[in-house]
Amino acid sequence: MAALSKGVPRTSERSVTVLGVVAPPPIRVEGPRFSGSLATLFQCVRDRKIDLRGVPLAPVCEAYLDYLGTSSNWDLDGAATALEALSYLLERKAWILLPTPEAEPDLQEPVSLPEPTTDLFDEAIASLRQRRDLRERLFFRGPEPDQDPYEPASEARPVTVKDLARAFERLLAKAAPIEFEPPTERRRSLSEHMRLVLRALSREGCTLEDLVPQPFTRSEAVWWFLSLLELIRLDQASVRLRGEDVVFSRKERPAA
Amino acid sequence: MIHELPNLVGRIEAVLFVAEAPVSLPLLAQLLAVPEGVVEEGVALLNARLADQSAVMVLRIAGGYQLSTRPEYAELVERFLKPQHQRLSRSLLEVLAIVAYRQPVTQSEVETVRAVQSDYGIRVLVERGLIKEVGRKESPGRPILYGTTQQFLHQLNLDNLAELPDVEGRDFSQLELDIS
Repeated sequence: MAALSKGVPRTSERSVTVLGVVAPPPIRVEGPRFSGSLATLFQCVRDRKIDLRGVPLAPVCEAYLDYLGTSSNWDLDGAATALEALSYLLERKAWILLPTPEAEPDLQEPVSLPEPTTDLFDEAIASLRQRRDLRERLFFRGPEPDQDPYEPASEARPVTVKDLARAFERLLAKAAPIEFEPPTERRRSLSEHMRLVLRALSREGCTLEDLVPQPFTRSEAVWWFLSLLELIRLDQASVRLRGEDVVFSRKERPAA
Repeated sequence: MIHELPNLVGRIEAVLFVAEAPVSLPLLAQLLAVPEGVVEEGVALLNARLADQSAVMVLRIAGGYQLSTRPEYAELVERFLKPQHQRLSRSLLEVLAIVAYRQPVTQSEVETVRAVQSDYGIRVLVERGLIKEVGRKESPGRPILYGTTQQFLHQLNLDNLAELPDVEGRDFSQLELDIS
């Protein structure tokens, strides 16, 4: 019924659609009553040209989820546009199918956005890019002003983001399900949590799973992981690979 | 006149050598107690001298003069410094270009040009110091106005906004920009 076409349009190839300026991913909808793209289905429904009762939406939603799960180059704008279109279609269909005496309200129709005029700036963008490339080949005395404060310390370089993500994934797999508790205690700030993590870190180092005290929830796992990243950035913790394992340790501080 | 001033070129070189940011022409003139035109002559002489026997050059950037390594030594210096180059994606460049050309400009004006939400782009560019709040627009809600910074000029290898290519007939000579 619904399938994902190959090839996601790049930003520069996007056209203005009825959904706005960003085309949704190329999800094809095939069925006895309708055959075409998600964008076309949306337009037809919005313009009251098609009866949604003959168009099953579950396969379209599945194709969308499949797109999110399998496509390596999906972008947030396109995904959000498709989600908005799907939610619109589902709401319209719900009003058709649900037995309610209430009349269908006027759903908020997407406002047609103005056409982008960024092409006016193409020359400027090309010029900025060119200048930026040249600038990257020039070095000046003193601290480079564009050091990103959120970049991890250089020592973390041998450990890739994938290594960190894998270590975090392994930790999350062991997390206990979150039980609802009414908020009674004051929420701990990240800096407070960082102090806690710093105390738990040894100079020898250990894996994330050995570091976080058991049992822990997914939220606690996230707090521990974020705190570690921040400590690495501040050069108070270090991370290295030991075989397949990512090992976190307390950074040696030079004696004053 | 410049030949009458003892070691002016050397004095300019000394100041630029220790400076960690571009040194403006008026400041150099004030420091050396000579007219700005003489400083410009001195910088040109210094650059000519450096061109023969040095890996550095005097660059006119971000409204001032600064010593920089020559591009041909970039690979070597990169291997030594291991700089963290920040990527400027197409969407960030779009926002940056619109702010540069339309400044002072509000976020919604940027979004009107791009026809997509641009809050992320604005936030990232502010965090990177390439744009900043320059005031409030006198319209309902008094939205924030954004403009480019001196960091923008420095990072994009510009001396001033007039070096940007002409788009929409924008005349930057009329733009008085606070780049402090």
